[in-house]
Amino acid sequence: MTSWDAHAAVDGVWKLESARIVAGLVRMTGDVGLAEEFAQDALLAALERWPESGVPDNPGAWLMAIAKRRAIDHLRRAERLDRKHEQLAHELTTQPDESLDLAPDGDEVGDDVLRLMFISCHPALTTEARLALTLRLVGGLRTEEIARAFLVSETAVAQRIVRAKRTLAARRIPFEVPEGRERAARLSSVLEVIYLVFNEGYAATAGEDLIRPGLCLEALRLGRVLAQLMPGEAEVLGLVALMELQASRAEARTGPEGEPIPLHEQNRGRWDRLLIRRGMTALLQARTAGGPLGPYVLQAAIAVCHAQAATAAGTDWAQIAALYDALFRVLPTPVVQLNRAVAVAMADGPEAGLALADPLLAEPAMRNYHLLPGVRGDLLARLGRSTEARAEFERAAELAQNTPERAILLKRAAACGGRDDAVTLGHAVAAFLDRADLDAGTLRAYRHTMNRMLAHLGAGIPLPEVTAERVAELFAAAWGGAADATWNRHRAAVRSFAAWAARDRGWHTADPAARLGRRHEPRGRTPALDPVFVEALLARPGLALRERTLWTMLYESTATAALALSLDIEDVKSIGGTGGTGGIEDIEDIGDHTRGTLWGPRTAGLLPQLIAGRRRGPLFLADRRPAPARTPPSRDLCPETGRRRLSYERAEYLFKQASHGNTLYQLRLTEPAATRRPSPS
Amino acid sequence: MPKYMLIMRGTDESHAAMMASIDESMAATGRFIEEMIKAGVLLAAEGLDLPGRGVVVDFSGEAPVVTDGPYGETKELFGGYFMLDVASKQEAVEWAKRVPAVRGSKIEVRRVAGSDEVPEGNEHLVEERARRESSDQI
Repeated sequence: MTSWDAHAAVDGVWKLESARIVAGLVRMTGDVGLAEEFAQDALLAALERWPESGVPDNPGAWLMAIAKRRAIDHLRRAERLDRKHEQLAHELTTQPDESLDLAPDGDEVGDDVLRLMFISCHPALTTEARLALTLRLVGGLRTEEIARAFLVSETAVAQRIVRAKRTLAARRIPFEVPEGRERAARLSSVLEVIYLVFNEGYAATAGEDLIRPGLCLEALRLGRVLAQLMPGEAEVLGLVALMELQASRAEARTGPEGEPIPLHEQNRGRWDRLLIRRGMTALLQARTAGGPLGPYVLQAAIAVCHAQAATAAGTDWAQIAALYDALFRVLPTPVVQLNRAVAVAMADGPEAGLALADPLLAEPAMRNYHLLPGVRGDLLARLGRSTEARAEFERAAELAQNTPERAILLKRAAACGGRDDAVTLGHAVAAFLDRADLDAGTLRAYRHTMNRMLAHLGAGIPLPEVTAERVAELFAAAWGGAADATWNRHRAAVRSFAAWAARDRGWHTADPAARLGRRHEPRGRTPALDPVFVEALLARPGLALRERTLWTMLYESTATAALALSLDIEDVKSIGGTGGTGGIEDIEDIGDHTRGTLWGPRTAGLLPQLIAGRRRGPLFLADRRPAPARTPPSRDLCPETGRRRLSYERAEYLFKQASHGNTLYQLRLTEPAATRRPSPS
Repeated sequence: MPKYMLIMRGTDESHAAMMASIDESMAATGRFIEEMIKAGVLLAAEGLDLPGRGVVVDFSGEAPVVTDGPYGETKELFGGYFMLDVASKQEAVEWAKRVPAVRGSKIEVRRVAGSDEVPEGNEHLVEERARRESSDQI
């Protein structure tokens, strides 16, 4: 058995067994923190030994035996061995080993896992802590995987888990499934945690490089396990049904560019029939279990109506509207009311829907929720009230958080026709940002400026009214105190926009950039980071080679992050393995970058490891390959690994995470390398 | 959503061995299925009828030829499958190791390709969709 096989086996076994092992240990030790520590010890022991000794016949029992031994050792070694501990250690030693056999013989093991779910979802913990602890203890995920899924740092997740364990210990939360009145409330906390995990995976608007360890899958698994452990609980089955049905549409709900595709436009051939069938079965079981219809069962029933419709037009909206009525009775939230309005409009016409949606305008929670004007715009448009519809779509576009959604809303606003023939700012901006001739970085910068203009002036303002005075006012308010470079970047965006609108489109504009003066940029307004801080950052154990190399390069040189990320292997080939320093002169096509050293001796020492035999393609690579439908231009793809170039956002994000919010731009020398004092180590 | 299929591949001999103690194998398989359901990973499982009751449609020649079978020409026979919803190949392999399989048989572990791995505009998918729509299958 090679060591790779053994490591793979450890991964697989851990995923299968960890919940049962941790649960068993919590029962024995009465402490979640200790239990997890011993379980981790066992995992490490497996990683050390299995590569040599091979995977044992019953790997789960092997892990449990090691963990139990560690628990006994620990309890004996503890300095303040009170009688209770002594007794516990004695009991553990004298217990016959068969009790450790984790063969699926008993409800005992299952009950422990159920208790583990209840304790990790305990309402005494914050929501974040519940999510992290449940994924860690019951789902068997590593801290690092949880951190990546929730876009927070590993440290943050580790802290949440530590704090959660402390709270459980301090409050002496018992390891049990509560009975009586408390049971329902505690169960709903468990269901809430599972559904939050699911939605975090399902509704994610993650960046291009972000790795998601399948939160939907983890949530489904937790739900299915819970349904086995608590048979006959209608809401548990309802939640499982709801998740199975939503998951069945996962592949159909985004387009090739990652844009969301609304339900009625989805390709129903891409819905997963197997998951739909499982969802329907679970819902049927929930109905058989009886009891009043809870929110999860009702939402699952609505999802079934969609799943059963052969086409969007064939949807049974009357049934869905009736289910939303029932849902609103048990879950009277504004968002449910809005969905109900949509269903009623489909069933009984836009007028009826509008009557339900309009009262929501007074709801404070809905004030900044873009879907309310979005829905109203749609209903108004269907009633032929196009001027009002247009205003609503424009308002929705202003409130929308993500760009594809905003673009769709602006398109709909434009389609309403209008008050007059003048092009609106919203329409012009949408067209400007839709250009194919700009690179991604430029577009991103322009989008930032344009969004600010839209937020300030409104998407509905006619282009000729976007005057130099108004824009100057916006700039003074938004960027008056910003760095000169920032000011100039936004100014350039407005100038480019004005020139494009007038020259390429022939639209009438009021020369919006006329009163924006260019500022002189002294270099280095943002302070460079303290070398001591940077050295500590670079010396951090476990820092990935890619990050170490990039950060060292920026630190040692005058290169910008954008330039460093644009480097290809071909650019740096000249260094070979010699360890010399690389000059900017060696590189063609670097535009107007100030000539200077691109990397110093420390970077040169790291580069050969990073390149590791690759011959062509981007120097800094993302962690994974892009989805086939989102293939970037070939210059951004590594021909050998298929992975794409590391994006600026991802690099910046990682640095921010590691450096408590500093930017890559601050990662530079304050003085030329030759005169810099050696940093203390 | 990643799915993995554990494909059972038996030989005539392993098949005969299984039939010799069919009650025992059925019970063991039942326990295994229960374990996977409890762990929340089993999506579906099917076993095929005896190979001797099947037929083979052979496209070697110009016209398809139908024979009883499959016999002889196939060393390992597809006997059934388990479909799992698991996070990784490692996990799928770990489940495969626990299948109560008869000595001499094999379990093949294969990932099920998602429909998003085929370009959206793929003509076959478009045709398939049109066909299903026209026959009211979706």
